[in-house]
Amino acid sequence: MKLAHLADLHLGFRQYDRQTPRGGNQREADVAEAFRRAVDDLLVQRPDLIVVSGDVFHSVRPTNPAILFLFQQLHRLRAGLADAPIVVIAGNHDTPRSVETGTILKLYEALGVHVVVDQARRIAFPQLDCAVLAVPHQALMQAERPALRPERGAAHNILVLHGVLEDIIDPEWSVSDYGSARLTRPDLAAAQWDYVALGGYHVLHDVAANAWYAGSLEYVNPRAWVQVREEASREVPGKGYLLVEVPGARTSFRPVAAARKHLDLPPIHGAGLTARQLDEQIAQRVAGSKPAIDDQVVRLIVYDVAAGTARDLDHPAIRQYKARALNFHLDVRRPEPQRVVGGGAPGRRHPLPDTLREFLGRRPLDADLDRDEFVRLGVAYLDRVGGEAAERAAGSG
Amino acid sequence: MIRPAEPGSPAPLGRVVATELKPATPHQFHFWTANETTIGIGAIVKVEGPGVGDQGPGRVVYGVVTDGFAYSDLATPLHDVVAAEGDPARAAESPSVRQEIRLWTAAVLRQQPEEPLQPVPLGAVYVASDADVAQALRMDAYVTGAQPSGIPVGLYTAAGLEAPVYLDADFLLGPEAAHLNISGVSGLATKTSAVEFLLASIFEHFPAHKGRVAALCFNVKGPDLCFLDRPGALDDADRRRYERLGITPQPFERVRYYAPFKADGVNLNTLRTHPDLVGDVEPLVWGLSEVLDFAEVLLNRDDIDAKADAFIDFLSDRVLNKEFDDGFGGSHRVQTFADLNGLFRAIFDGLELSGRSDMWRTHHIATIRKVRNRLSNISTRCKGLVTDDGPSSDLPWGRFEDRTVYVVDVANVDPLGQDLVFARAVSKLREHLERRDLGVEAVVVFVDELNKYAPGDGPETYVRKMLLDISERGRYLGLVLFAAEQFRSQVHRRVVGNAGTTLFGRMDADELATPGYHVLSPAVKIKLATLPIGELMVRHPHFTQPIFVRFPRPAVLRGRDGVERFPPAADLPFEEAVVRQLARLDRRIRPNQVKDLIAERRPDDVRRALAAVRRTRPDDALAYFRRMLGARVAPATAPAREAVPPLNPISEEPY
Repeated sequence: MKLAHLADLHLGFRQYDRQTPRGGNQREADVAEAFRRAVDDLLVQRPDLIVVSGDVFHSVRPTNPAILFLFQQLHRLRAGLADAPIVVIAGNHDTPRSVETGTILKLYEALGVHVVVDQARRIAFPQLDCAVLAVPHQALMQAERPALRPERGAAHNILVLHGVLEDIIDPEWSVSDYGSARLTRPDLAAAQWDYVALGGYHVLHDVAANAWYAGSLEYVNPRAWVQVREEASREVPGKGYLLVEVPGARTSFRPVAAARKHLDLPPIHGAGLTARQLDEQIAQRVAGSKPAIDDQVVRLIVYDVAAGTARDLDHPAIRQYKARALNFHLDVRRPEPQRVVGGGAPGRRHPLPDTLREFLGRRPLDADLDRDEFVRLGVAYLDRVGGEAAERAAGSG
Repeated sequence: MIRPAEPGSPAPLGRVVATELKPATPHQFHFWTANETTIGIGAIVKVEGPGVGDQGPGRVVYGVVTDGFAYSDLATPLHDVVAAEGDPARAAESPSVRQEIRLWTAAVLRQQPEEPLQPVPLGAVYVASDADVAQALRMDAYVTGAQPSGIPVGLYTAAGLEAPVYLDADFLLGPEAAHLNISGVSGLATKTSAVEFLLASIFEHFPAHKGRVAALCFNVKGPDLCFLDRPGALDDADRRRYERLGITPQPFERVRYYAPFKADGVNLNTLRTHPDLVGDVEPLVWGLSEVLDFAEVLLNRDDIDAKADAFIDFLSDRVLNKEFDDGFGGSHRVQTFADLNGLFRAIFDGLELSGRSDMWRTHHIATIRKVRNRLSNISTRCKGLVTDDGPSSDLPWGRFEDRTVYVVDVANVDPLGQDLVFARAVSKLREHLERRDLGVEAVVVFVDELNKYAPGDGPETYVRKMLLDISERGRYLGLVLFAAEQFRSQVHRRVVGNAGTTLFGRMDADELATPGYHVLSPAVKIKLATLPIGELMVRHPHFTQPIFVRFPRPAVLRGRDGVERFPPAADLPFEEAVVRQLARLDRRIRPNQVKDLIAERRPDDVRRALAAVRRTRPDDALAYFRRMLGARVAPATAPAREAVPPLNPISEEPY
C-alpha cells in the first residue's frame, strides 16, 4: 500500500502586503500554489491512501478563496484517484474554539473526504486491509485523550495526528506549531504502528523510523528564517510531502517547488563602518544574491549599527531593493548595550523619547514589520501622550 | 587472705599479684580470687592502689579479664597420680583437700590518673560498678555533658551486674570515625538482629545537635529485613534490658519498602507480598538513563575495560535523549533500551553494508558488541527492575525523612541487578549528601554478605570500589557503612580497617585462627567461639580492649516468624494484580471496573498507566487510570464511496 502523507497546508495564510494581479495576498496565493503542485504530483504518484495531518486551513474562518481552492483541489484528487481514500484531520489552526463556531472542513465530506474534527475516529478501509486512527487536535486537548494504539482487525494500522513531541519543540516555537497538543514518545508507541503521520512541525522530521512529520508545504510561520536555518542544518531538501510504502514504512520525500525562495543573505558586521561603507556592502550582498532578489522573500541582517549611522544609510537604494523583492527585510541591529558598572557621578539621563527609540530599535520584531516605521510610530505616540499631559498640566495650573 | 570489707563499701573479690615471672605492667596485671567467684572472661574489674599518706586514695586501674588459670601446689602431675595410686576414684578419698588457686589475667582499660603511666599497683580488686564501667570505657567523656552523644549498644553483664555500654555517635556515625563492621557465623540471627537493635538505638539516641538520620538497608537474602515495622516477641528479660538501656521496645515507626517487579511487571519481587503488607511496598523500576549512568557496574564484573567505559560515556553524553545521527543516514533519539537496540542494529548494519573498517566513531565494533551484550543482558536478566520503555520509580532522593528506614529488597534479584542497585543507590546517596540536599544529614547503609561484595581477593569490581570509597570518605559526608559478613578475614582489609566500631558474634574456630585475631587471648577466642545468641564482643575507639555486651532481641518481627505470620501471597494474574494495586490507592474501586477497563489492553500500556497513578496519587484513582490509558476508539468501516460526479467548473479561479 502506498500512502501519501501531507501536513500543515495552512491555506489562507497571509503575509506581507504584496498583492497578486487579481488583488489577493501574494503569499496566500503562494501557499495555494504549493498545494496545487502537491496535488499535481499526487495525481502522478497515485497513492492508495492520502492523509493530511492537520492545519489544512490557517484559521478557523479561512478566506473565501482558500475554501474554494481546497474544494477544487480535493475534487481533482477525488476525480483523479477515485479509489484512494482521503483522511483529513483538524489541527490547532482549524479547530474551532467553541462548538457553535462550527467548521468549514465538514464541507468537504460532500466530496467523500473523511474529515475528522473533534473526536478521534478509527476508520477501517477493508479494500486496503488498513485502519486509520485519525486524531484531531481537539481530541488531544480533552482531559481523557484517546488511546493511541492500534486495534486488531486490520493488517495495516496508521496513526494520523496533529501535535508536537515534547522533546523536539524548539524554544522559539518557530518550527513547532505554537498551540499544538504536546505528545511524548510513549504516547505514540510508534513501534506498534505501521506508520505514524504527524502534523504540527513545519520541517520534515523523523521521530522514529516509521513516524514522520511531513512538514509544511510552504513557509507559513512569520519566523520562516528559523525553519530555513533548521532545514539547512539538517540537510532537509525543502518543502514537500511523503510517500510511504506500508508495511515497512519506507518513505520517500516528494519535494514541492516553492513559488519563491526565502533568501537569507550573508550578514554584515557593521562595527566601525560608515554609512557609505555599509551601503556598499548591502549593495554587494544584494548583487551577489543567487537567485536575484526579485520577487523573493529576502532578509539581510546588519549587526552593530549605531542609530545615527542607520539614519544615514542610503534609504532610496533600500526602497529600491524593497520594490524588487516580494519582501526585503533589512534587519539593522544596534550594538549590544555595554553594561558598565561605574562609580562617581551619574551620567546624563537620556530623554524619554531617546530611551524609547533605543529600546524599540533593538526589540525583536516579527519579520514582516518595518522597524523604522515601528520606532517612528512609537515615538509619535509618546510625543502625543506627553503633549496631552503638558496641556492638562497647563490647564490645571 | 582478703580482708572483710568495711561496712557500706563493696567487698574486694581479689588482689593483684606480681612475681618476677608474672609482673604487673602498665597494660596487664594478674590477680587471684577465691575459688568461688562471680567473674569470668570479659569481666571488668577495678584495682585500687594504696594511698600514700594523706594524699587520698591511690591509683585506680580498670581492667578487663582476658585469661584465667587454676592450679595447686603440685610440683608435677605425677605427684597426684602417685598419691592416688593411679586410681582417679581414690583421689577423692584423699584426707586433705589440695589447695587450689584461681589466678586471672586482666588487660588494662584505663588508669587514673592517666599520667604518669605506671605498672598496676598491687591493690585490692573489685567488681566494676555502673560508674566504674563508664569510667573504664571512657564513656564519661561522651555520655554526660552538654551535648551527650552516647548510643547504647548493649549491657555489660558480669557478677550479677548489668551496666549499659554506649558507643560515641561521633565515632560511630562520623565525623571523627565512622562505620561498623559485624562478623559472626551465619544462622544464629545475631548479625542482623544486632544491626536492627543498633539502628533502633541510633534512632532513639542520635543526638539532636547532629541533625537527622536515616538508614538504607539492602535486603540481599531471605526475609530478614522484611518486617521491620511489625512487633516481634520479647520476653521479660528483653524488656528489662530495653528499659536499662533507655530504648523503647517497639518496631520502627517509619519504614519504606522498595522492591522491583517480577518479570510480569505487576507482581512485586519480595517476600513481603502478604495482602496486609504489600501495600507498603513501592516498586523500584529503572529505565535506560538510570542504568546507563552506572553501566560500568555491568562491565567490571568480569573484566576491566577502559574502551567499553569510554563507549558507555559516549552513549550517556552524546546519544541518550538527544537527536543523534548514526553516520549511515539514520537519525535516532535514544530513550529506551529498545531505541538503543535500534541504534546498535543500525551501526552493525551500516558497517556491514558500507564495508568500512571495524571502527565506528573511534569505537571498535567488538567494544560496541560487548556493551550491547551487557546492556541487553541486564534488561533481560533483571526484567522487572529494568523497564524497557516504561516510567521509572525510584527511591525518594532529596526527600529522605528523619528516623526512617528505607529497605531495598533485592533478595530475589539477579546478582548483576543487585550490584547495579547497590552501586546506583549508594552513588545517589553520595551525590545528595555532597550537595547536602538528601533530606537528612547522615545515612546508615546496611550491607550484608560483605564477603561477596568486598572480598579481600578476586577481581576489582565497581561495587567493591564503591564500598572502599564509602569506607574511606563516607564519614566526612555522613555516609556510614554498617556491614556484616561471616568471615572478616576474607573481606577487603581497607573496608574492615576503616570501620571505627567492630562487633563480633559467635565466631568460627578456623576464622579465629587467622592472623587478624592474634591480639585476642586464647580464653577470649574460646569465649567468642561459644558466644551465645544475643551477646557480642565490641571494639570501639574509646575502648582500649574488646568488651562483651548483651543486647536484647530487636523489637521487630524476625524474618522467619514474619514469613509464617504473613505468608507471601502467590503471584496474582495480571488483571488481579492491577486491581489490587489500584484498590490499595482507592478503596472505592471495584475489580470489575478495572478489569473492563484493561480488557484487551497491552500490558505495557496498563503498567505505564498504573505507574502514573502510583506516582500522582490522585483523589480519584480510577478516573486518572482511565485517563492515562486513554479512551479506546472503536473501528468503523468507511462507508462505501459514491463516485464523485463531474462538477461544473467554478466560474472564477480563486487565485
